[in-house]
Formats: sequence, C-alpha cells, structure tokens
Amino acid sequence: MTKLRNNDGSPLHRAVPELAERVRRGAIDRRSFLRTVSLLGVSVASAKAFLAGTEGGLGFSPRSALAQEPKRGGTFRMAMQTQEITDPANYNWIEASDITRNIIEYLTLVDEQNVTHPYLAASWTPSDDLKVWSFKLQPNVKWSNGDDFTTEDVEYNFKRWLNPNSKSVNRTQFAGIEFEKTGPLDFKLHLPKPKLSTPEELYAYTCSIVHRGFDEQGANFQKNPIGTGPYSLAEFGIGKIAKVKRRDGYWGKAPYLDEIQFIDLGTDISAHLAALAAGQVDAVYRVTVNELDLAKRLPNVQLVSVPSAMTVCLRMQIDQKPFDDIRVRKAIVLAADNQKMLDLALRGQGLLGENFHVASIQPEYFPLPPVKRDVAQAKQLIQESGQAGKLNLEILVGNTQGRFEQDAAQVLAQNLAEVGINLKLNVLPPAQYWPIWDKVPFGVTFWAHRPLGVMTLDLAYRSGAVWNETHFNNKDFDAALDKAMGIVDPKERSKAMEPVEKILQDSAVMVQPFFVNKVTAVSNKVHGFKMHPAEYYNFFNVWMS
Amino acid sequence: MASYLVRKIGLLLLTMVVVSLVVFLALELNINDVAVHVLGPYSTADQRQSWLQEHGYFDPFILRYLRWLGAFFRGDWGYSTYYREDVNTLLPPFVANTAILTGVSLVVMIPVALALGVIAGMREGGIVDRLVSILAVLTTSVPQFASAVFLSAIFVFWLGLLPGASAMTEGFSWTELVMPVMVLCLAGVGYLARMTRASMVEVMAQPYIRTALMKGASTRRIVLKHALRNALIAPVTVIMLYIPWLLSNAIVVEVFFAYRGFGTLLYTASLNHDIYLIEACAMVSVIVVVCTQLLSDLAYGWLNPRISFSGATAAASA
Repeated sequence: MTKLRNNDGSPLHRAVPELAERVRRGAIDRRSFLRTVSLLGVSVASAKAFLAGTEGGLGFSPRSALAQEPKRGGTFRMAMQTQEITDPANYNWIEASDITRNIIEYLTLVDEQNVTHPYLAASWTPSDDLKVWSFKLQPNVKWSNGDDFTTEDVEYNFKRWLNPNSKSVNRTQFAGIEFEKTGPLDFKLHLPKPKLSTPEELYAYTCSIVHRGFDEQGANFQKNPIGTGPYSLAEFGIGKIAKVKRRDGYWGKAPYLDEIQFIDLGTDISAHLAALAAGQVDAVYRVTVNELDLAKRLPNVQLVSVPSAMTVCLRMQIDQKPFDDIRVRKAIVLAADNQKMLDLALRGQGLLGENFHVASIQPEYFPLPPVKRDVAQAKQLIQESGQAGKLNLEILVGNTQGRFEQDAAQVLAQNLAEVGINLKLNVLPPAQYWPIWDKVPFGVTFWAHRPLGVMTLDLAYRSGAVWNETHFNNKDFDAALDKAMGIVDPKERSKAMEPVEKILQDSAVMVQPFFVNKVTAVSNKVHGFKMHPAEYYNFFNVWMS
Repeated sequence: MASYLVRKIGLLLLTMVVVSLVVFLALELNINDVAVHVLGPYSTADQRQSWLQEHGYFDPFILRYLRWLGAFFRGDWGYSTYYREDVNTLLPPFVANTAILTGVSLVVMIPVALALGVIAGMREGGIVDRLVSILAVLTTSVPQFASAVFLSAIFVFWLGLLPGASAMTEGFSWTELVMPVMVLCLAGVGYLARMTRASMVEVMAQPYIRTALMKGASTRRIVLKHALRNALIAPVTVIMLYIPWLLSNAIVVEVFFAYRGFGTLLYTASLNHDIYLIEACAMVSVIVVVCTQLLSDLAYGWLNPRISFSGATAAASA
C-alpha cells in the first residue's frame, strides 16, 4: 500500500494514521478524507495514491484526463464587472480578486473540489492541538520586480491585515493570531483556538500576498502591480476592461494562455450572454437560474456547474420588534415552504436548506430530521404571541446574486399570508442594498460558499462576530461550535455538529431555503475551464482551441 | 436677437444652479453611504467617520455646496468615488460616445420619419397613410427595454448577424453601433412620423394648397414648394425635443447593450452614490436641454419668419 507523506516530508499529524485506518474501513468517506488530510499538510498526490490502493479505489473520478493536447497561446475573454483593485486585502468583490489572482498569489490553493493544495506555501504542519501551524514557503519564488519572495513578505501581509486601522475583513478573520518568523522561508502561526480550516482560510479572496513594499510604494495595486504570479497587469479601467499578459520568469508551471481579458458589460447577465452568443467573449462570469434556459439554447456553448454552499438567508434580527419574540420567528420559519422556494426561485437547481446554514456537501454536515412545514402550528404561535392580525413586515432584498433572491422572498410572502402575516418586499439595487445589509431587522442576505460550514457559522452566528447580522447570542452555541472546530476526524466533527445545528435551527433566526448550484456558460473553444464553488477562478489550466 | 441670447444663457445658468442644488440636497440625505461605497462594507464606523471628516463631508451644507459650485465654474468637476478618476477626464469620452449614438440615431431617424410622415400625410386615409399609422403606433408603444430584447433575440441569438454587446473594447466599431441605434430609432421614428403626418394633413387642407391645386400645379410641386416648409415647423420642434429624449432613453439602451456612454455613466454613478459624477451628469443634461431649446427656437424662426424673438414669444417658448 502506498504511504501517506507530508508535502515537506515531516512526520504526519497524529490524527492522520487513524483517519487512514477509518477510510480503509469505510467509516469515513473518501472525499472527506482527502479534504481533511490535505488541510493537515499531507500531499494530495500521496493521499490520492493511498486511496487508489485501498479497496474501492479512489471512489470518485479524478480530474478528467485531457482528451486533446493543450495548445499554448491565445487570449481568453470573460464578461465580468471590473471593480477597483487598489488594495487586495480590502476587496469587497470576488470579481476584483479574480483579476488579480493572475498577478498575485496565495499561500494555499483550494480547488473546485474543496481540496487544499500547496501554493506559495510549499507545506504546512499543524501541532497536535491544531493551535500552532508551521509553514514552509516555496523556494526560488521571485517577484515581478526581481526581488526574492521570503517570509518577510508574508509577515508584512499579516501585519497589514491585523493592524487596528486595517479596513480588511482579514483583521477579524485572523484576530488573535500571532505571526512568528522562524527562518527566511519558514514561519509559524499561533492561533488563539484550534482551527483545522486555517490553510483553507488563507485562500480567502482577500488573502493574496502583496509585496513587502506595498504601502511604501503608494498602497495602490492598480498603479504598482508587483506580483509573484504568471501574469502582469497590462490594462485596467474600472467599469471598462482589465487585461493581464503572461510574463517570463514565473516560478511555477507556465499557464497556457498568453492573455486574459475581463470585459465589463455591466450588471445585466443577458447582455453577457448576448456577447457570448456573438463571440465577443469566451465565457461569462456567472449564469443565474433566470438566464439558464437562454444559456442552454446557445449553440457552441457549454454550461459548467458545481454544487456549492452559497445560499441566501431570509434572516431576522432577534433584538428587533417583533422578532424579539421567538414565537413570531418560529411561526415564520414554520410557515415557510423551503422546498417551494427551491422549486420556484431556483427551479430546483440547488440543495434544500434546513435553516441552520450547513450544506450536505460540506464535510461536517450532520443530518437533522427533515424540516416540516406546519401552518396550523404557525398560526397558533402567532395567536399565543398576541400579534395576530398585527404583523405587517417588510423584508429588504438586494438581488446581489440575481432575481432568485426576490423570487424566494416572494414565495415567503405568500407562505406568510397563509398564517395572516403581511410581508412587503423592499427591493433595492445591490449598490444601495450593501450599505444597509446588516442594519435592517428583516432582510435577504447572500452568503458566499465556504469549504467548511463552521467557517460561515463562526463569522455569522457566533456572539459578537462582525458579520453577525441576526444578533444571535447563545453561549451554548458558541461552545458547541468551538468544540466542533477543534476536531480533526470528519465523522467525529459531524457528530459534534449536531448540537450546533440544532441550537441554530431551534432558535429560528432565519429561513434558509436552499443552497445554490454555481453555473456559468463557456464557449466550446475553451478547454480545462473549471467552475469554482466560490467563484475563485483560476485559469492556469485553461487553453483555447 | 442679442437680448434673446442673453436671456437664454441667463436661464441656462439659473437652471444649472437650481438643478445642482436639488441634486446636492437629494444626495445629502445619506452621506454615510458615500463612505461605505468608498471604504467598503467591512470598514468600521470610525474609519468611515474619519474618511468623511478628511474629505470635508461634515462642513455645513451650504459651504460644501458653494465650494463645489465655485470649483465647478473654475472647471474642476470633482472626483468620482466609483471610477476613482477625476470627473473632468472621465466624462468627455462617455459624453462623446453618447453624442455618436444619438447623432447617428438622428441621422437615420429623421429622413425616414419625415419621408414616411410626408408620404402618409399627402393623402389622408389612403392605404399608405393607414400602413404608416399602424406601424408608427406599434413602434411607439413598445418600450425600448422590450424592443431591445426582441431585436437581440432576432439579430443576435437567432440570426447571429450582429454583436450582442456594444462595449467597443477593441476601439470604435460600426457593427456594434447597429443594435443600439436600431432600438433608439424604432421607438423614435413612429412618433416623429405621426407628428409630420398630422402637420402635413393640416397644411394640405389649407386654402392656399387648394388654390395651387386648382391652378393646376403638380403634386410634386405643391408638396415641395408649398406644403413642406410649413408642415415642418412642428416636426422640427419635436426633433429638438428628441435630443434630450434620446439622452434619457439612451440610459436604457446603453445599459442593455453595455455601451459606454453618458447613460451608463449616470446609471452607475447613481447606483454607487457617486455625488460629483451625478452632479456633473446633471449639469451636462441641463446644458443639452437648454441648448436644444435654443436651437429649436432659432430653427422655428428660420422656418417661419413671422415669429419674432421679442419678449413675449421668447418667454412663451421658454
């Protein structure tokens, strides 16, 4: 049997042999095994070889072998909004990171199957308690200005992120982390609490590593785009176009494409598809359920999709009237028909949500008993709360990801009408919605895909978390979440998730109807294009015929 | 004439001041939004406050307005918070693109509409008149957002003849201009043709036309020599009103086809609470509206020398 080994040849984490034994016995599934050991620093290649050697083989299809020999050169054009790229740590839009992902790089890379790979960090080893993580950087990496890439650069980035004046979401994401430089290419992260998902979090779209002179050189990436990546910025205009061109001297495997263009065609996806149909672009950034029929009918176009944990939460603030009364919240959740929202708003293109914001595709998901709609009980709860006939609610909708958000809210309005609650939709354009997304008592919030469910729960439902938009505050929940986050074994972690999910579901802070499949449309000329569940596009293996 | 021009320019300035004040007031309601758009939703309240402080957003309203007004008349139109560029350098290419779009639309639309209107109006109730009228009512009643979808379905998705987006990333392209021009013209031609027809019908019923007819003049001579000039007075006003109309309708068409014009710019600026850019766009609109009015008055005078530019008429036309 093939042996498992770490990327740097260091001893395996103590949990790895046990995990290997369990996957061999079939006690945990192969995909969860692969994801978990890759986080613990085990080389993905050795883990795949190990799985192939076990009974049942790899268990899922590896990346499909390329039917044709990839062709070098060419330009790939994608319809995408070009947002400002001044400071990569401050991005508010994933689109901005998709431009600079070609120019600056990350310490780790999470692929479309949620497996974490070494990137600028060649390897990492967690301590047994998962609180100290030792990283080794890739040697021989050079910045585009000729400087060597070293620990100093990484240290500089962590300092920027954690600076009290930092405007980056990383400041809260990595709060309490201490950075220790241990060598020119080595460093350690000391965490305040155990966190298995650390390597994954380093691939968050705001975590690209900029040059150590970033602030000195004017703190403007657009003006001074120094990077370690294979491309350099050739042209950039907000709301216009971004072009990157392949440069010589890249440390890694050279990508196939000579040039990548991101063309801003506004926010209307049907315009993007019109451009795709006319051959003005080779791919669009995203297709939502509303344009799916049109996209399917386009000749010479392939649809690429992947299930994701992206969702919308029709969430309530538990300290605002009338949602401070749990009976009202429960009545709303009981009256909601999640299946109908999935069928109508998403036309079935997703997974059913169960109001606790963990998706069945996430490794730690624990299946609770199915959610049942109960109109009679909802009515009774409203009666008991003394609010019968008095509930005139308004829900804020931003349609930031597409019309389906509004459609889901519309279904909820009809559901609630059955129990005597009047729900009005307040639909705003995304740009006006964003400044108040977490301010309103009742709103539809889009939550991006994250590889692990605990990452989202930690950001959104822990007491006092920055993005805690429901103002949910439950010590038992926090403790249960802490416990789950420190467990390595996926099966055990899933068991530990039962109370976490249960508390959140019982607290009825939101109707979370579904998880959305990510879909996009790409010309048939494009090969090797992978849809990423978080829309973190990487075109290094893409080529044009 | 000179005093007329002075009055018009005075009116222009007054309108600009009033409009800019109204826009400034409207955007004033939520200045915190500006900071959120600039610094991002993850910035803290402190960071937003200090940014607003630094950029003078806490000064009294009238002070900030006067500061903006002064800078505006000196030629400094402020900084766009969304595009991160000076409005002065940002605006001209977008306005030029819309000038091209509306200019080409007018060049296509006017001859077609006038010809249709004149032909229809020559014989009221005839078959040509009926056909033109039906066509005109149909096209006028379809809004641009619908005709844009409809025409895209035919020419882009079905026939594959034309490009679906008009962003012109590779430089100016006539083929990319076809779809937006077609949509704008379709909506405009009908109304103008109807106006011309009505005017023509009225003129054709005048005693002097009857006299000409009885004197044995040919139809061609009657139409070209006697009817046309008088029948054109009303349509010319309509054409002048079309320019501001095109400017506002360009928003729908430009956004739909991702054409980088004034409409797209104003739309994006409004969505992103980009105060100085919105102000600049509003000012451009005012200038265009007042100038087209001026032109329309002048054209009126040329077509009908009886109209004088003395106070009463000018005031009425203003």
